[in-house]
Amino acid sequence: MHPVFSQHGRLHIYLAAWIPVAALLAGLLAASQARTGVEAVALGLPLAMNAAFFSLALWPLCKAMPLRGDRAVTLAITHLVAALLTSSVWLLFGAGWAGALEYGARVTGAFARFRADVPLLLVVGSLLFILSSTVNYLILAFEATREAERAALELKIHARDAELRALRAQLNPHFLFNSLNAIGALAGSDAAGARRMCSLLSEFLRRTLVRGAERELPLAEEVDLADAYLGIEEVRFGDRLRVEHDVETSALDCRVPSLLLQPLVENAIAHGIAAVVEGGVIHIRARERGGRLEIEIDNPFDAEAPRRPGHGVGLGNVRERLAARHPGQSRVEARSNGDRYQVTLSLPAVRA
Amino acid sequence: MSGGGTGRAGGGAGVTPELPGAGDPKRIRTLIVDDEPLARSLLREYLAAHPDIEIVAECANGFEAVKAVAEHEPDLLFLDIQMPKLTGFEVVDLLERDVAVVFVTAYDEHALKAFDVHAIDYVLKPLEPARLARTLEHVRRLIGVPGTNARYREVAAASLPETKRPDRILIRDQAKVHVVPVEQVDYLEALDDYVCVHAGGVKHLKQQTLAELERLLDPERFVRIHRSYLLNVERLARIEPFGKDSRVAVLKSGAELPVSRAGYQRLAKLM
Repeated sequence: MHPVFSQHGRLHIYLAAWIPVAALLAGLLAASQARTGVEAVALGLPLAMNAAFFSLALWPLCKAMPLRGDRAVTLAITHLVAALLTSSVWLLFGAGWAGALEYGARVTGAFARFRADVPLLLVVGSLLFILSSTVNYLILAFEATREAERAALELKIHARDAELRALRAQLNPHFLFNSLNAIGALAGSDAAGARRMCSLLSEFLRRTLVRGAERELPLAEEVDLADAYLGIEEVRFGDRLRVEHDVETSALDCRVPSLLLQPLVENAIAHGIAAVVEGGVIHIRARERGGRLEIEIDNPFDAEAPRRPGHGVGLGNVRERLAARHPGQSRVEARSNGDRYQVTLSLPAVRA
Repeated sequence: MSGGGTGRAGGGAGVTPELPGAGDPKRIRTLIVDDEPLARSLLREYLAAHPDIEIVAECANGFEAVKAVAEHEPDLLFLDIQMPKLTGFEVVDLLERDVAVVFVTAYDEHALKAFDVHAIDYVLKPLEPARLARTLEHVRRLIGVPGTNARYREVAAASLPETKRPDRILIRDQAKVHVVPVEQVDYLEALDDYVCVHAGGVKHLKQQTLAELERLLDPERFVRIHRSYLLNVERLARIEPFGKDSRVAVLKSGAELPVSRAGYQRLAKLM
């Protein structure tokens, strides 16, 4: 199907584009024979509109015969023949319309004047149809470019996701071993605590390992994952870590790329809490405003501490994945404000 | 400070502690440094199986550790690497007396490689009593042996990733630690076994040789302009001739430093 039908409203624009052609045609008809203005328009406008539809009929031919240098002659001949044939059919319609003007609308001599213009109209018609084929090829080229861009983007998203899955598969060993050490410590003094920690760790591992395969899920599940992770870290860091949530219910069912929050939450620990002697509170906020989902994570940090290796990797990953999914429509901002570090995400709120 | 809890029973699964010679009254004064309370209590619990180990204090960060070393004069340090304020390596860098060290880490690729190369004692988290016992057996021989300090410093330098340069210089002043970011350093001056760190009009003495520091710092930023001076090139205002055949570097602060012939060539190469 021709792209003018593929989207609502495009057909009107397409037909409007033919109005200047209709005007030119009417002008031509008025100049070539002794016609009144009314007759020239009455003949020119239907002819032009008819040509508009006949041009669309050339679309499948253009699609079937892509432009290729080695077939230039075949292409030229085919399109010339097609233009002549289309023109002829178009003229048959023209003749019928002229007849109708003469006998139906009593415009004396309309048919004779049309007959006299047949050679001229055959040339004009052929040129018009060759021109529309050219436009068709332009549209095809444009579509091919857009398709290529879309494919490239898709590829980029896949690559990002694959990279993320690889990252998850190799799990942060520092976190894992430290957690196991904490479980060992609890086993001696607080058996119930050790069991709880085992459950949290299993929950975290199950969610991350399985999660890697899914591309998008509700924010609620991302928040659950962050909770499991932070629950473990709360045991490890003791008094040094507190977590506060402020997630609006309406935001919970917005769909987000899987493991979107995890790198940010890990940063809040590794570059935040872990580097601050007295620790502090990690805030997680999410809300939906005007069709956009806004997520904010902020944590205490030590502005004077040297940056630990790996700083910026997680944030870069989040930024690129959002940019690939919502080109030009997502924002990731990170800023430090005194002794707090804040990351804000803003993306279109999408629901399943 | 956590109470250590279960005492001897903590030795756990069939560990035979390495007892020192019968009647040996020698106790090893030990300091535990780790920012996670649970990690400290597990280590304390496992160490309870070794009667010669006497835990004199526990510290939750590097600053506390430096202070506690001065205060308690321990023989042995269990030192976590990833900590707030000062890493375990930075703590080692600040030690001014010989103390045996066992590094404790969950995972640190570069450090583990360096430990193995330099035959440095370490234990991995999760802690394992048998491995801890073997490490203690080895480390007992190092107690009171001079020269351990230098080895730990060496391994601390070696465990930085190759591309990573220290971004700050740490200077100990009794129990206090001064942290000077390298970009604030104007120049470093050799004074016998010490280095004088000049930063924004303030001077700090650090027990280290200029050559050692030169090796650690970014050569794109710090140039040895003279046998006794390592200059932060970003502080250089101009170079003026001085007498016949020699030059002087004028810093933005107005300070003037001598530039040797070789030093001038090194500067010229960098500019």
